[in-house]
Formats: sequence, structure tokens, C-alpha cells
Amino acid sequence: MMSIAAKDLSVRRNGATLLDGLSLSLGPIGSIAVIGPNGAGKSTLLKVLTGIDKPTAGSVHVGDRDLASLSNAQRANTIGYLPQYFEPHWDLSVAELVRLGADRSDRLAAGAIEAATEKFELMHLARRRWSTLSGGERARVLLAAVLVVDPPVLLADEPAASLDIRHRLDVIRALTLRRPDRLSVVVVHDLDLAFTFFERVVVIDRGKVVADGPAKSLIDDRRIDEAFSVRFDRLKTPDGWLLRASTGP
Amino acid sequence: MRVWLLLILALLLSIVIGAAAGHDWMSPADLVRALAGDTDLRSRLLIDWRLPRVLAAACVGALLGLGGTVFQGVFRNPLAEPYLLGSAGGAALGATVALLVPLAAPQSFVLPVLAFAGAWGATMLVIGISRVAGAVDAAGMLLAGVAVAAVLGALRSFLMLALSDETVSLQIVLSWVLGGVQTPTWPILGLLAAISIACLVLTLLLAGRLDVLGLGETMAIAFGLNVNRFIAFAVLAGSVVVAAAVAFGGLVAFVGLASPHIARWLVGPLHRPLLPASALVGAIVVTLADAIARSAVPPAEIPLGLVTAVAGGPFFILLLARRLRT
Repeated sequence: MMSIAAKDLSVRRNGATLLDGLSLSLGPIGSIAVIGPNGAGKSTLLKVLTGIDKPTAGSVHVGDRDLASLSNAQRANTIGYLPQYFEPHWDLSVAELVRLGADRSDRLAAGAIEAATEKFELMHLARRRWSTLSGGERARVLLAAVLVVDPPVLLADEPAASLDIRHRLDVIRALTLRRPDRLSVVVVHDLDLAFTFFERVVVIDRGKVVADGPAKSLIDDRRIDEAFSVRFDRLKTPDGWLLRASTGP
Repeated sequence: MRVWLLLILALLLSIVIGAAAGHDWMSPADLVRALAGDTDLRSRLLIDWRLPRVLAAACVGALLGLGGTVFQGVFRNPLAEPYLLGSAGGAALGATVALLVPLAAPQSFVLPVLAFAGAWGATMLVIGISRVAGAVDAAGMLLAGVAVAAVLGALRSFLMLALSDETVSLQIVLSWVLGGVQTPTWPILGLLAAISIACLVLTLLLAGRLDVLGLGETMAIAFGLNVNRFIAFAVLAGSVVVAAAVAFGGLVAFVGLASPHIARWLVGPLHRPLLPASALVGAIVVTLADAIARSAVPPAEIPLGLVTAVAGGPFFILLLARRLRT
């Protein structure tokens, strides 16, 4: 179990404010969806929480420690990061990519590579090279490479956005259905998925948290409509929510 | 396993061909006789001249293969080559000074040292500039490298015009710049071999992190790599390797570019097998190119760099075409 918290985070670049004094406490367990319009700062937030980008001001705490005080190895073992877009420069095989993910851990559980390979149904693909894989297969390889060390905190930047709906559901399930003592924070573009599969939803707009709460109660919050500049009709379905947007008056 | 056996056999074969080739062709039987301790003129020629030169060519090729692999790994660009970051320009400047300025120490010592210092200095300059400019990433270093290389090239041309006279011929400088392995004494060859092995070990230490960097900078940081520090360190290590190659072989074009590609076809893109495979490919290519350089138009010798450039140019175009099509 490991919580992750942002305090007064600001990121300014080339005169643009990407995060504007954002504070947010996440975890230590559960599944959290981060939603918001384009340019709200979702990707920037995830990159700063992972330690990929440095904040202009503010701090990130992992557990009771400052993220900046962790060694690179500690950081890589504690926080798993799934990028929005991933394209390796060399045409590695599936087995090699999963192995590179596993190599970042110095105390990998025995059989972890085999377990991840099996969990994401990659056994028959082990020797295939990246360039020959379909979009869905690539997503599974990336999941296996990031989750093979089973990090306490997982930050995912909508890695399934470009996949067809079935594969998108598979990825969202893999991200939300982890061990119960793990934390998953996922940037989600599809609001129905956010309110159906996640326990908590955080709404971000213009670099700030504008709404935050359990998915069940937040669904009726009008601040979602404001953030996206639309009017949502909320339709309850037997197994989740359907949000239909309209821009009219 | 079979690939490695084939590579080593190919290297041995090219060394035999290299020893046989020249103004005066020898047979493998001559080589066996010379190695057995025969002391006639042909055997002494082989042992004292041909063989050291051929083995030096193999070492220079191996160094170029290693350097090219490191630079392509760091810049994650299959068209990157070791001479990109001004190290060649620096080495050439150092060698020009050694050839044109009368110095107290013997030239056979001064030239490699100054070439090495030039390559090292140019690379440090590139890293320094990109640091001051606040862009210690791959793109920033590439741009700084191109700029530094241009300035160093102009400086070298100026020195050549200003310092050469009847006693120091421009042709000597030119032939060095065009690339060519000098025939070393056996102790110098031993030194070169030791440097080559040290460079192989040094670059193998980078192998795992080069693989991680190949996932892209974002993923590399997420996987715990200090990307900027590693890039600066790897560039420095790559420059040491290139400087050693340039100090002993002049500017030999395209080998550092082509060897990693050929090696990638043979052993795949992971750097731990790729580095030694690329070294072997580079050694084979330069040994054969040097054999051609010595034997194509006897009694004259074609500069080695011209041979590799003529062979490598079409290879580069082929590569570019394949890349643009994908």
C-alpha cells in the first residue's frame, strides 16, 4: 500500500500554465479515474506524479517521502507508468520488452515474468517483434512490461484510447482489477467507462481539481458539465452509466 | 551460436585475405610458414609489416563498430554515426596540428595523442554547449555537434593553408584525413588491442541502459533511468571509442554507420549481443577494405576512407530509402 499526494503543484512552460497550484491526495488503495477536457493538465499531472517532468512549484509525496528524495530505482519500483503513446525505437521482441520491464526491479518475485506473460496472454507471441503486433497485442505487451514488477502505484495515461472498444475494456479491467492492496490512477477519456469501472473520479480543468469524489455520488455533479462545456444527460443502465452530451442550450 | 561462429570464421578468413593481399600477393602457405618461425624475407615482411597492419585494421574496424553502436543507441537514430558529434572534426584538427607544427616529440607518438585529445575536446565542447543552451538531450547535442564540426572543419582548412610549405606537404595531411591504418610495431599493436578490449568492456557496461533508453525517454525515466546523465556519459564513452579509432586509423567513413545495421540483422537489437557483433562486423569490413586499399592499384595505395566511402555511400542511400518507405 502506498498513497501518492500532490501539494500546490504548478507547472509553467513557455508562458503557459499547465498545472495551477493543484493539490490532490490519492490512495493508498483503489481505482481512480482522472477526467477532464483536452488541455486540462491530466497528462502533465501524471508525468509530474511519476517523476518524468519536474514541477515549477509544489511537491509530490509518495507514502511519507518526497518523490524527489527517492532514488531512480526506488521510484521505478514504486510507481508504474503507462504512457498515452509508446513506440520503441528498436524492433524488440515481446519477451525482450517484458524482460526490460522486469529488469528495473532488483527484487523481482520468482516466476513474475512467466506470470505476467500468462496473465496478458502473450505466451504464443513471446518471439514476435513489436512491428508485427496489432494494436491490442501492443497494449497487452506494454501492460505486461509495466505491471510485471506489480508496482504499489500505477499511473496510466489512457493507454487504450486508440483501441477498439473490446480491447479498451480489456485494458481498463486489467488496470482496475489489480490486487486489492494496490492503487491505480487512470486518465480516462470515455466518461461512461470512468463512472462504470472506477471507485473514485477526479475532474480536472485548467490545471486545477474542480470536482473529486466517489463515482456514485459525483455522477450528478454539474461541475462535470461545466468542465467539458456541454450539457450531459445521465442515463442509468443495468451495469453502469451512459453520459450523452449536447452543446445546445 | 551459429552466427557467432560464422562471424569469427569470417574475421579469420578476412585476416588471412588481408595478409595475403598487397603489392606482392602471398599465399596462405606463406603465412603458415611465417607463423611457424621461418626467417626468410617474405616471412619477415609478413610478420613485421603485413600482419601488424592487418590486425591494426581489424582493431580500428572493431572500434568503429562499437562507437557506431553506442551513438546509434544514444541518439536512437539508425542514421546516426560516430563522427556526428564533432569528434572526427576534433581528431582531424589534432592530427593536422601534429603533422604541420614541428613539435619536440616524435610524430608517431604525437599524432595519435593529439587526434585523441582533439576528439575528446570536441565532444566535451559539444556537451558543454548543449548544457549552457539548456538542451542536454539528444536533439540539442546533435545540433551543437553539427555546429562544432563545421567550425573545426574551417579551422583545419585554415591551418592547412597557413602552415603548409615545401617541407610539409599538404598531401600527408590529406592522406591522413582520408583515412588509413598505419603499420604499427608489435608493442603499439598490443596497446591498440588492449584499448580495443577495454572499449568493448566499457561499452558492454552501457548495454542494458542503452536498451532501456531505446524505449523512448519518457519510458526510460519511468523505468528508473537518469536519462540526461546517462546520455552525457554514453556520448563521452562513445567518443573515447571513436577517438581511439581515429587516432589509429584516420577518418574512415561509413563503417561506424553500417556495422551496427549489419549486426542488428544478425543478432537483433538488444545491445549486449549487438555490441560484440558490431565490433566483429566492423573488424571484417575494415580488414577487407584495407586489403583492397593496398592491392587495387599497385604500387600505389588508395586511402582506406575512400574505399569505405565508395562502398558505404550506396549502402547509406539504400538504408535511407528503406527508412523513408516504412
